[in-house]
Amino acid sequence: MSVGHVQRAIETAGIPTVGIYVQSFAHVPRLMGVARTLITQHPMGRPLGAPGDGERQAAVVRAALELATATTPTSEVFPHAYRTVNH
Amino acid sequence: MTSQDSKASPDDASTETIKQLRDSFFYGSRSNLNFKFVSNLTDGEFGEFLAELFEALESAVNDGDPATVVETINFWQVEAHAGKHVGESTFQYQYDDIPIAQLSKPLSECRVVLLTSSGHFVEGADPEPFGVVDMTQHQAEARIMEFLKETPTLSSIPMDTPADQVRLRHPGYPTKAALSDHRVNLPLEHLQALVGDGTIASVLPNAYSFVGAASQLKLKKNIAPVWADRLRDEGADLALLVPV
Repeated sequence: MSVGHVQRAIETAGIPTVGIYVQSFAHVPRLMGVARTLITQHPMGRPLGAPGDGERQAAVVRAALELATATTPTSEVFPHAYRTVNH
Repeated sequence: MTSQDSKASPDDASTETIKQLRDSFFYGSRSNLNFKFVSNLTDGEFGEFLAELFEALESAVNDGDPATVVETINFWQVEAHAGKHVGESTFQYQYDDIPIAQLSKPLSECRVVLLTSSGHFVEGADPEPFGVVDMTQHQAEARIMEFLKETPTLSSIPMDTPADQVRLRHPGYPTKAALSDHRVNLPLEHLQALVGDGTIASVLPNAYSFVGAASQLKLKKNIAPVWADRLRDEGADLALLVPV
């Protein structure tokens, strides 16, 4: 919930925000009243994807930034499941 | 006393209850932050989780694909944290309002800042919690209750920091993935790539990280507004936030 406090404060200061939350904590931004969230179906601690999965990580960042233009509170689920990577 | 002292030890196995077993993964004698969620389950649910996990492990052993193991762990992690176990009526920080600012320019003209609660810092700039030099991850986990009373501090991470100079310590989440690849929650390179392809105009020179396992009251009342003003003064048009 720590980022929820920060996200609300940044929005209040006039800067739009997008937060990337894992599914386990999807309820937190909803309860805290956070403006824009992208929910990923990834395990805790790896909101953008698996280590070594640069392609997925980049796709999540891009999807999050696309939410920045939303003018009303928005929450979307990144549609792909976590995938492991062979190092 | 550390948080581990009050938990069951494997040496007590002859008298250990299922609840003590579950709790031992939550900062106890078997502390594992990937699986601390089992302390939120009932004994019956814990049994279901183990049965499904063993079945998934057998499949992984047979076909070499860990996907089902990951799915099983993730399902129960979500169930324990965000399922029926969540006491929404007792969640302390609920708000009816949703502060929302608007982009003042197209995304391609925006200057973006990255802020995460991942606990990253740059080599040579260790925030040294409680004045401890070179605190280990294990030591941090053992002091989780102290972290939760502490005022959070913000670490500046230059966007061009080489990967081998990025450090991490956080008592609240499993850090091994981020230790092997910081981009799982600190996407410095991915944001720079978006500058390169024109999706965004630029990034602030520094990204920011803090340990989210901190005093929420101090963060909310005293710290978050100061950080927000700082980002505005530094010229951020948009903030990308990554909680862990």
